[in-house]
Amino acid sequence: MDLDYHIRYSATNKYENQADGGLWQFLIIPENNESQELITASFTNSLKIKVENSINGYNFKTYRIRPTQSFEIVEFNADFHLVKKAENIFEKVANVYDKEYEVLRSISFKAENDIFLRNTLLTTLQNPVDFQFDESISIFDNLQKLNAWIHNEFTFKTDVTDIDTDLNHILEIKQGVCQDFAHLFIAIAKNFGIPTRYVSGYLHQGNGYFGDSQMHAWVECNIPGAGWIGFDPTNNLLAVENHIKVAHGKDYSDCPPIKGVVYSSGKNETEYTVQVLAHQQQ
Amino acid sequence: MKEHSKPTFESYNRDPKLYDEIFDENDNVRNIYSTLFELYSEHSAKDFARLNNKAKASFFNQGITFQVYGDHEVKEKIFPFDLFPRIIDPGEWEVIENGVLQRSKALNHFLWDLYHDKNIIKDGIVPLELISSSANYLDQMNGFDPPGGIYNHISGTDLIKHSDGQYYVLEDNIRCPSGVSYVICNRTALKRALFGVFNHYKTHTVTNYAENLLDILETVKPKGVDIPNCVVITPGIYNSAYYEHSYLAKAMGVELVEGRDLFVENDFVYMKTINGPEKVDVIYRRIDDQFLDPLEFKPDSALGVPGLMAAYKQGNVCLVNAPGTGVADDKAVYTYMPEIIRYYLDEEPILNNVPTYHCSRPDELKYVLENISQLVIKPVDEAGGYGISIGNRLTKEEIEEVKETVKASPRKYIAQPIMSLSVHPTYIEENESFEPRHVDLRTFTLLGDNKEFVLKGGLTRVALSKGNLIVNSSQGGGSKDTWVLKNNL
Amino acid sequence: MLARVANNLFWMGRYIERAEHLARYLNVNYFSSLDAPNELSQTRQFVLQSMLFMADDFSRTENELDEQEVLYDIGLNPDKAYSIINYVKLARENANSARDLISTELYESINKFYHFVLNYSVDNFTQRGLYDFTVQVTENVSVLRGKIRGTLLHDEVYAIIMLGINIERATQIIRIINSKYKDAVLAQGSYGDTLKNSYEWTTLLKCAESYDMMRRFYRKTPTSFTTLEFLILNPDCPRSVINSLNQVCEHIKVLSHEKYPSKTSSEFLIGKIRAKYQFKIIEEIESDLQTFIQNILDDLNNIGVKLENEYFHY
Repeated sequence: MDLDYHIRYSATNKYENQADGGLWQFLIIPENNESQELITASFTNSLKIKVENSINGYNFKTYRIRPTQSFEIVEFNADFHLVKKAENIFEKVANVYDKEYEVLRSISFKAENDIFLRNTLLTTLQNPVDFQFDESISIFDNLQKLNAWIHNEFTFKTDVTDIDTDLNHILEIKQGVCQDFAHLFIAIAKNFGIPTRYVSGYLHQGNGYFGDSQMHAWVECNIPGAGWIGFDPTNNLLAVENHIKVAHGKDYSDCPPIKGVVYSSGKNETEYTVQVLAHQQQ
Repeated sequence: MKEHSKPTFESYNRDPKLYDEIFDENDNVRNIYSTLFELYSEHSAKDFARLNNKAKASFFNQGITFQVYGDHEVKEKIFPFDLFPRIIDPGEWEVIENGVLQRSKALNHFLWDLYHDKNIIKDGIVPLELISSSANYLDQMNGFDPPGGIYNHISGTDLIKHSDGQYYVLEDNIRCPSGVSYVICNRTALKRALFGVFNHYKTHTVTNYAENLLDILETVKPKGVDIPNCVVITPGIYNSAYYEHSYLAKAMGVELVEGRDLFVENDFVYMKTINGPEKVDVIYRRIDDQFLDPLEFKPDSALGVPGLMAAYKQGNVCLVNAPGTGVADDKAVYTYMPEIIRYYLDEEPILNNVPTYHCSRPDELKYVLENISQLVIKPVDEAGGYGISIGNRLTKEEIEEVKETVKASPRKYIAQPIMSLSVHPTYIEENESFEPRHVDLRTFTLLGDNKEFVLKGGLTRVALSKGNLIVNSSQGGGSKDTWVLKNNL
Repeated sequence: MLARVANNLFWMGRYIERAEHLARYLNVNYFSSLDAPNELSQTRQFVLQSMLFMADDFSRTENELDEQEVLYDIGLNPDKAYSIINYVKLARENANSARDLISTELYESINKFYHFVLNYSVDNFTQRGLYDFTVQVTENVSVLRGKIRGTLLHDEVYAIIMLGINIERATQIIRIINSKYKDAVLAQGSYGDTLKNSYEWTTLLKCAESYDMMRRFYRKTPTSFTTLEFLILNPDCPRSVINSLNQVCEHIKVLSHEKYPSKTSSEFLIGKIRAKYQFKIIEEIESDLQTFIQNILDDLNNIGVKLENEYFHY
């Protein structure tokens, strides 16, 4: 059954000292793909600067704004309307490919997925974790177990970590937010040789899922024979009808919702909120 | 030791263990140098001292200098110029020219493959680790087709002549190879100092580099552009290669811009001129990948242009060399060059590669640790001659230190036999005479869409202190005018 | 041409001109004072004060100025923004950034000039070398002027350098007038000197390298009246303010391609200001010189700001 989504992204940037010009890039536009179709998109800002459409390094669509005037505060509002098709992931992985481990270990598969097998600063484990892969069950089942393991072992808690927090700290405090759990998932899955990428997007929280009215983060794994499948370790869910993808990358640093180059001294802060409303299509 | 009986060659001691570019094993002057040797012998030591000073002053006054950063101050230095030119005969040059062109083409194929299907890895010719552990592989380039299919438009290949009289390639520089402006300056300086000698040799010109470079830049213009607007981008006047950047812009007749002169609007690049914005189509960039675009790379870089990568990926501007070439400009990749050439071109390598031991391979690491005194240990990703240890120059304690460093991070090091660079007569100020000094040769190769060019000449770099093997300018090296002859003598 | 580079070329012109005027001011005032006809003009303190005034240093309140210190600060102190060495450094730095646009010959001359100033011995300068140094600075600037005129294509690059040079020249001439007028006011009275016939007017003309030209034109000893008329209003005097404004008018035409420049453009403003001084008469100026000086400095400054906004914005 298809879902109709209305998403509102609002952000306010405040600058301690007056800023003179600069540039912001927003990575907040829902991707158009097999399972989601973007119907309308609008983006406005309080400085009334015209909005440019561009792409980021992974070819995801971005909005770009280049102010030339001076300002201390600026507000942005984006509205998206899209239709999400509920995919049946289990159908996708139903025919377990019997040589999937062999393919996973093949040089061809590794070479093709090299980018999402490489370690990054945010997805490197210094110490082993007590999650074990079991080759007697499928890769998908292993990943489901990993998803559950993270969900059970760790507690969702805001303000105990930030975007630079490394995994060792997360493992120690057993707390964190969706980015941290996504990074942990990526690190463990990659260590086992499963290409895994960070996904940034919107979560429909209607059913009481964790996500803190901000951009949500989950992961996608490339399973031989099945392709890229989304896992949300924060909520122990498969990313299906409640997850609206914006972009992916190696880790958070490839897909922050806003990047800015602003000519200003002193501190600045960004506050943003996300609202996701859904109703079933008739 | 035979007496050379010429005043300025009195203290020239030929070392029989090394290849001497002008004296053969019987101490006779090689044929190609005989006329030059006679001509130079007419001058006294005083004449050379005077010419040498004049040449130095000329470089200094023209501001053909680079900055050296010491602990406390910045010094402006000239790149020392030597009065005795290096001569390469046409037959020898043909081999070099074909060889460096072959390597540049193979590297271009290699880069395309690494950023597309990665067949060379899938076929097991080079290991995946070569790219997966390289900080210079840019994900942003994955699957992208650069205009004309060219990555390394400009390559600088470093060669040496070993004691066996053969040329060996030491390095392929395909990020932002520098030095070509000195090739031209050296020619100008030698003409000013000793124009008479040119009457006796038919030498290829080197001043056609800039026009060829501009031609190459124009071949990779974005689609739909008629006459492309090309620019050179520099980090600015404090960069050590600024002279070269300004020289190239001037010689091509294009603007020399800094990042702050450019901006991106709707994925097109513009420069800010006195008459308002002007679209830019091709950028010969002399800033490193990581500084190109703060939105994609180092976020605090003020040298680049926000949005440049997006403009590039949308096909609205061409960057030269392409971002991400650094992945193939790596001492570990170097060691696979013979295989890379065979794989893509189905040809045998024309130029020799120095045999290399990878410390990442346990058996080779073992050999390296056991034979360290006969090897040169090089870090894989350090430029400018830094971090190199030459085994037979190390004390016992130093050898142990190097061993520990290598053992701690074997992937970071390779080792090669100590190559003995050939020697060439070089004017030594302190002694007011010519003495043998080690030299290498950097050649410059250009690749465009259906166009290629090898500069007939090159930068002969010379290590000015006796016995020193490192010729980099940052380590006190000088350079010589390099003549490629049009016909055999 | 890039806006940033245009800005640098404009300032290269200005700094070259500024260095020259400051050097000549030091030279002329110091050496004229040695045999000046009145006592005050002869005192070293008077001359040093005048030099600092010209250099824009009003920080010193002490009564006794140290000669070597003042000379060092204005000539070779790299930490003083107003020093000759600093102007030459800035000129070279600006030339560096436009190196691909200017001729090799011009760059080489600027570079040699820079190394000459950089390597000039401080001790020698402050004790014996004032004459030698200042003369060499002015000679070097003459060489640069020749190279600018003779080795550059007379296009936008040339026009921008000339705009900088001429705006700076007019500014410096006015500043010299201001400074010498102040000296003349102070020096009047002793030995029957009146303001009108002050010896300082001769010094002023020499500072502007215009003494010989002025004598040829008027064939009389300079007075306040003739000196000011010559240096401000005589279009044939290459150092006069109006001559500089005329040149500014010529050179802006190369940048602006408008037949009828809009009233917000630099070209319009320059034309308007030139017209204002073209038809000025000396009686008006002399009656309130201080106000005149302030007005014209504002006008020149406004031209600079306008040019910056229109052409050099990056």
